[in-house]
Amino acid sequence: MRALWTMVGNDLRQRLRDKSVLIFSLIVPLALMGVLSLAFGRLGTGSVDLQPATVIASVEDSGPLGAALLESLASVESMKVTVRQVSSEAVGPETRTTGAALGIVIPAGFSSALATGQPSALQLIEGSGSVLETSVLISIVTGIVDQFTAASVTEAAARLGGVPPDAAAGIGRIAVTGDPILHVTEGIAPAGQLSLRAGLVAGQTGLFLLFTVGFGVLGLLAEKEQGTLARIRSTAAPQWTVVAAKALVGFSLGVVASGVLLASGTLLFGVNFGSPAVLGLLVLGAAAAATSLTFVVAKMVRTAEQANVAQSIVAMVLGIAGGAFFPIQASGFMAVLMDLNPVGAFIRGLGISAGGGGVAEIAVPLVTMWGFAVICVMVSLFLPDRGAKA
Amino acid sequence: MSADRLVKKFGDLTAVDDVSFAIGPGETYGLLGPNGAGKTTIINMVAGLIPADSGSVDVAGIRMDPGSVAAKRNLGLVPQELAIYPDLTARENLNFFGRLQGLGRKELSSRVDTVLDLLGLTERAGEQTKKYSGGMKRRLNIGIGLLHRPGLLILDEPTVGVDPQSRNSILEAVGNLSTEGTAVLYTTHYMEEAERLCDRIAILDQGQVQAEGTRDELITLTGGVDRISLVGTGRTTAAAQALTSLDGVHRVTDSGGTELILTVTDGAALLAGIVTTAARSGMTLASVSVTRPDLESVFLHLTGKALRD
Repeated sequence: MRALWTMVGNDLRQRLRDKSVLIFSLIVPLALMGVLSLAFGRLGTGSVDLQPATVIASVEDSGPLGAALLESLASVESMKVTVRQVSSEAVGPETRTTGAALGIVIPAGFSSALATGQPSALQLIEGSGSVLETSVLISIVTGIVDQFTAASVTEAAARLGGVPPDAAAGIGRIAVTGDPILHVTEGIAPAGQLSLRAGLVAGQTGLFLLFTVGFGVLGLLAEKEQGTLARIRSTAAPQWTVVAAKALVGFSLGVVASGVLLASGTLLFGVNFGSPAVLGLLVLGAAAAATSLTFVVAKMVRTAEQANVAQSIVAMVLGIAGGAFFPIQASGFMAVLMDLNPVGAFIRGLGISAGGGGVAEIAVPLVTMWGFAVICVMVSLFLPDRGAKA
Repeated sequence: MSADRLVKKFGDLTAVDDVSFAIGPGETYGLLGPNGAGKTTIINMVAGLIPADSGSVDVAGIRMDPGSVAAKRNLGLVPQELAIYPDLTARENLNFFGRLQGLGRKELSSRVDTVLDLLGLTERAGEQTKKYSGGMKRRLNIGIGLLHRPGLLILDEPTVGVDPQSRNSILEAVGNLSTEGTAVLYTTHYMEEAERLCDRIAILDQGQVQAEGTRDELITLTGGVDRISLVGTGRTTAAAQALTSLDGVHRVTDSGGTELILTVTDGAALLAGIVTTAARSGMTLASVSVTRPDLESVFLHLTGKALRD
C-alpha cells in the first residue's frame, strides 16, 4: 500500500504543479458556465424581470369594455405598462416608430357586440421593441377578451333560459370573477427538471468530469512515453499498484473538481442542488463511471496524444447526448441509450436532488452510473492492450 | 544474475534467440551489438518488464518475472531514454523512486544526499529537472538506478547523446561500481566503452550471442593479426612483391596503386623492416599506420558487417 500512496502523491503533486488540472477542470468549465449563463441569462433565472412597456391605443368604442380593457392593461402587476391613446390612424405608425411594445385599435361597437354575442375584431399591432414584453401583453389582452366573452356568453345563455336580465348579468359577472373549478399548482417535476441555469452548471460539471478523470489512467500513456512507466515497473512496487494509483488519482481529481464546480455554481449562479449528502453520492457515482471509461480508452489507443483526442470525443458525445448544453429528447431505442448515459444520469440525479429528492429518489441515476462503471471495467479487462501496458 | 536460454518473439520476428549468460558480484558484463541486435529486449526480460517466451532469469537467486517484487528489490534499471519527471526536482525524483524500492525514511534521506553528491547535483537538487542540461539529466537518470544500492545494475546504452565530459563521468562512475560488489549489465554499441568497462562481453547479432568472453579471448577469434597500411607513390608493385617474402607477413594487398595493406603477426615488431623493404623497393612513403585487432574487428570477423551498420 505504501507504493500505491507514493504513486498517488507523486501524481497529484505533478498535476497541481503543471496547472493543467486547474485549468481544464475548474477554470474552463466555470468560464463556460459564465458565458452560457450570460447568453441565456434572462431565461435562466426561472423568474424573468419584464421591462416597462408602452401600449399605443385607440378607443372608438363608446361602451365600458373598451375602457375596461385599457385599465386592465395599465394595472398589470408583473410589468409597468403605460397606455397612450391616439387616433386609430396613428396607432400603427406610432407603434412602429416609438419602440412601443403593442398597438391596440378597439373598434366602435366593441362593447355592444360582446354584450349581444355579435362578432367584433380587435386589432393588435406588434411593436418593434422586446418580443418578450409584446408577447406577454398580447397574452394579457387575449385573456381579458376571453373573460369578457365568457361573461357575455354566460349572460346570453342565462337570458335564453328565461333568467331575468339583472340576474343574467349577475351570472355573467360570476362567470368571470368566480372561483375557478380547476386549480393549477406549481410543484416539483417528477423527471427532475432543472432550471436552464442550474442545468448549465450540472451539465458542464458532468462534461468536464469526463475530461478531469483523464488525468488519471490516461496518464499511463504519458508515463510510457516519458520512460518513467518502465522504470516504475522495474521497481519493487506491485504491478497492480501502478494502474490502481492512476485510477485513484483520476477518481479523486474528478470528485474534488465536481464538488468545487457544483459549489461554485451554487454561489456564483444562485442555483441550489439540494442535500449535500445526496450530491456527494451523485458525484461519487459520476466520478466512478467517468474513471472506468478511461480504462476502456487507455486500452484502445497507443499514445498520449491519441488518448487525449479519444477522451475528448467520448466526453463531448456523452456530454451533449446527456444534456450538458441543452436538454435532449429522444424516443424508442435512442431514449434507452440516452438513459444509460452517465452524464444524463448525473444531471437527472441533480434535478431530483434540486427538487428535494433524497437518496431513495436518486436510486435509478446512481444504479445507472455504477452499472456503467462496472460494464466499462469488465469491457476493459477483455480488450486487447494496444498502448498503456505494452 | 543468470539468464538461461532466453527466447522472445514478436510476431514472426525472433528478437532474442536462445541467449544465456551469467554475471557475478562486482563483475561488469557487456552486451555489444548494433541497433536491433536484441540488447534492449534482453534487458527488458532481465528487468522483469516483459516475460520471456521461454527460458528464465534469476536475480540474487530469485526467479525474475513481471510480478516478482522480491527479485526487483535487487535490481536497478537505467533505461536508454531518460526516465525522470521533468516537473519534479532531482530530490523529489530520487525520493519517489527510492520509496518505490522500499527504502525507509532515514535510509532514503541519507542515500538521496549521497547520490546527489555523487552526481554533482547537490546545489541544484531543488530545481525542477526540466531546467537541467542534457548531461545533468543523464546523471540523474543513472543516479536513480543506483539509489537503493542494487545487487544488479542494468545500464541500457547510458551514454547515447551525452557530451564527452558527462560521458567520461558516467563511465568512471560505472567503473567504480565493481569495487562495491555491484554486478553490472551494460549494453552499448560503442566498442570503446565495452573495452574500457566490461570484464566480459557478449557479442550479439540478430538476437543471438555470436561470441562471449574477455576482450582478449574475443580478439583471438580473429587470429590475432595486425593490419599495416602503407600509403605512398613510386614502385608500389615491386614493393608489394618484396614485402610478401618477409617473415611474419601473411598477405599484401595493393589497393589502387597508392596503398599497400599488409596482414601481419605482431605489426609493431615487424614495422621497421617493412618500412625499410618498401623504401628499398622504390616506394616513396607518405604515411604508415598499424591497426591492432579490436572488438570492431571481432564483430566484423564474426558477422561480416561493421558494428555501427
